[in-house]
Amino acid sequence: MSIAIVGTGQTFHARRRTDVSQAGLAREAVNEALADAGMTMDDIDSIVVATGPVMFAAVNQPEKWLADALGARYKPVVRVTSGGGTGLAGALAAINQIKGGAAKRVLVVAYDKLSEGALQASISTLYDPFWGREFAVGIMGFAAAYWHGRMKRLGHTEEAAALVAVKNRHNAMLNPKAHVKREVTVEEVMASRPLCWPIKILDVPPISDGACAVILAEGSDALAITDRPAWIHGMAYYCEADNGPDRSMLQSEPLQIAATKVYKEAGITNPFRQFDVAELQEPYTCFELSYYEGLGLCPEGGAAELIMSGATSMTGELPVNPSGGCMGANPIGATALIRLAEAAMQVTGKAGAHQVAGAERALVQAGGGWANLRGVAVLGAERR
Amino acid sequence: MSTALTNELDDMSAHTLASQIKMPYTLTPGQATGIFIAELAQRRLIGSRHKDRILVPAQDFSGIDGEPASGFVEVAPVGSVTAFTTTAQGTFAHILIDGSSTPFVHRIIGIDAKDLSVGTRVEVIWANEASGTMMDLAGFGPIGASATFAPREAPADLSAALEQIDYSLTLDYQHAYGPYYGTLFDGVKSDRRVRGIKCSKCRRVLLPPRALCDVCFAPTAEWVDVAAVGTIQASSIVHIEFVGQRLKPPYVYAEIVLDGTSTRLIHMVGHVDPEEAKTLAAPGARVQAVWSDRRTGSLADIEYFELI
Repeated sequence: MSIAIVGTGQTFHARRRTDVSQAGLAREAVNEALADAGMTMDDIDSIVVATGPVMFAAVNQPEKWLADALGARYKPVVRVTSGGGTGLAGALAAINQIKGGAAKRVLVVAYDKLSEGALQASISTLYDPFWGREFAVGIMGFAAAYWHGRMKRLGHTEEAAALVAVKNRHNAMLNPKAHVKREVTVEEVMASRPLCWPIKILDVPPISDGACAVILAEGSDALAITDRPAWIHGMAYYCEADNGPDRSMLQSEPLQIAATKVYKEAGITNPFRQFDVAELQEPYTCFELSYYEGLGLCPEGGAAELIMSGATSMTGELPVNPSGGCMGANPIGATALIRLAEAAMQVTGKAGAHQVAGAERALVQAGGGWANLRGVAVLGAERR
Repeated sequence: MSTALTNELDDMSAHTLASQIKMPYTLTPGQATGIFIAELAQRRLIGSRHKDRILVPAQDFSGIDGEPASGFVEVAPVGSVTAFTTTAQGTFAHILIDGSSTPFVHRIIGIDAKDLSVGTRVEVIWANEASGTMMDLAGFGPIGASATFAPREAPADLSAALEQIDYSLTLDYQHAYGPYYGTLFDGVKSDRRVRGIKCSKCRRVLLPPRALCDVCFAPTAEWVDVAAVGTIQASSIVHIEFVGQRLKPPYVYAEIVLDGTSTRLIHMVGHVDPEEAKTLAAPGARVQAVWSDRRTGSLADIEYFELI
């Protein structure tokens, strides 16, 4: 069965949106997605709400609160949550509803309003209360620690990661939805204040309030809605045990499993050559380097060389994060869905000032948890 | 269930870890709720208009069709009870404000539950001092001499919406140790003894101990004493300060694999210069536990790890 994205929408993201509640924020993204698809809520069969951990903003079961604002009355509504990868996990749930015949058109709305809570303290509560929570430093301590490992073993230097910040912040300048618009140099990143070395403040994305909405539809229906759907060529989301024995975590095993599965579905044998554009979820600069390798865009240990070559810049052979990625805006629950929406915009030629000319096939990656929840998707302009 | 086991379960504190999560928030009520709460300080009740319906408290969106409110109205501070219940904390009721389409929950003050029935008329009791929260509407009590009026245009001096409301959650949990964590942490507490458990198939030693091996899905079988000595698998140097931190930054966050085990233990490396730590406390470095005088039966009984 072919399935496609027929509409996307995003809020304007900001460090703090005091003009709307969480429900109002979600509604704003949904309005834009419905308008993009030329639809109303009456046309939607089912709704998937995706958010990060509820402790981020103190509203438990927020899908209940959102129902009024979305006009979701008398429709199926479920919530999906899976850490930073939540948005993609929500899209996968929507695809499975369509594949299973439960719905023809599914709205996925993902958001987080991170200005409302204490982010890293909330993230520390994801740890086992007996085993690690006492010493957790949010996700930052962990992420920095394994970057340190990859630095030693795979050559992911601080300079190479700084280039990710330089590139993505440069790209964000042309994205009207990004809220951080400030270019940086490698020297500035290197000299910026260490938070959890090797992570420095300019390796870190902003903390954002924001929402994203995507409408998915079954193939023939998609063509009735729009003449330019973004076709889903493959999507998967995999897990690794939290305390799995012998995990080196130098590569994310579930990322590699997801990529292998999706590439097979999508007919990808040489990812670096076959993709025109990629949107990768890089909650810290070091992750983008790691994902180049996990996604097979370069050999293991080749990420620093790849970023330094310029191949992943806007003018390179495979632009990565033309939107600016997380560096432009990072409302965690929405972030992975933003990557999917941006990829859909690219393959349908709707990305405006940050459009990669002629992009026909896009790679999407998302992740949550301690490198143990990872998703991959491939989108194309061509029906598959 | 045996009597012995029942008695054991009665004394939960011996089997659980007390854990408290305390989180500060600044919540954003949005336009309608922001105005509703701000107006409570003026001792006025504000509703929102949605076609032929009025919602009190005012809402940004109608639950009927999701459409935004078209404007605001002032409603009389009187209404009727549509449902109620009495708990140890008092009597709570669904109250339908006159002219509104939806009841909301609030507390009843000054009316005995036996005198309350569905349909009882009630009136707002205002808080003596405004706090900028929903509790500026202290509750509902006996109907008095308050003016009743049909919903009317919102006052010209309608307050601006409150943008943020301070809030906090303090959550207390009792996490059950279960047999595996229980055995491990009993040993940590009484003898500073760290024990992992061996998979019956692959023979890996798992720490924390558990019933099944994550790789083989085979049962684990044999408890194994583990020295509190190991190798850093990954490490970072913490400079940020946060609530509840155990060491003053800078210090080293480390994921440590104790000798003979196959899984990581999350802890800290102390007493190392932050600049030197980049190389000395790097992945591959050898460390050993420095035990605390505390005997809490948790990983915090290890004060920190030190470089060997």
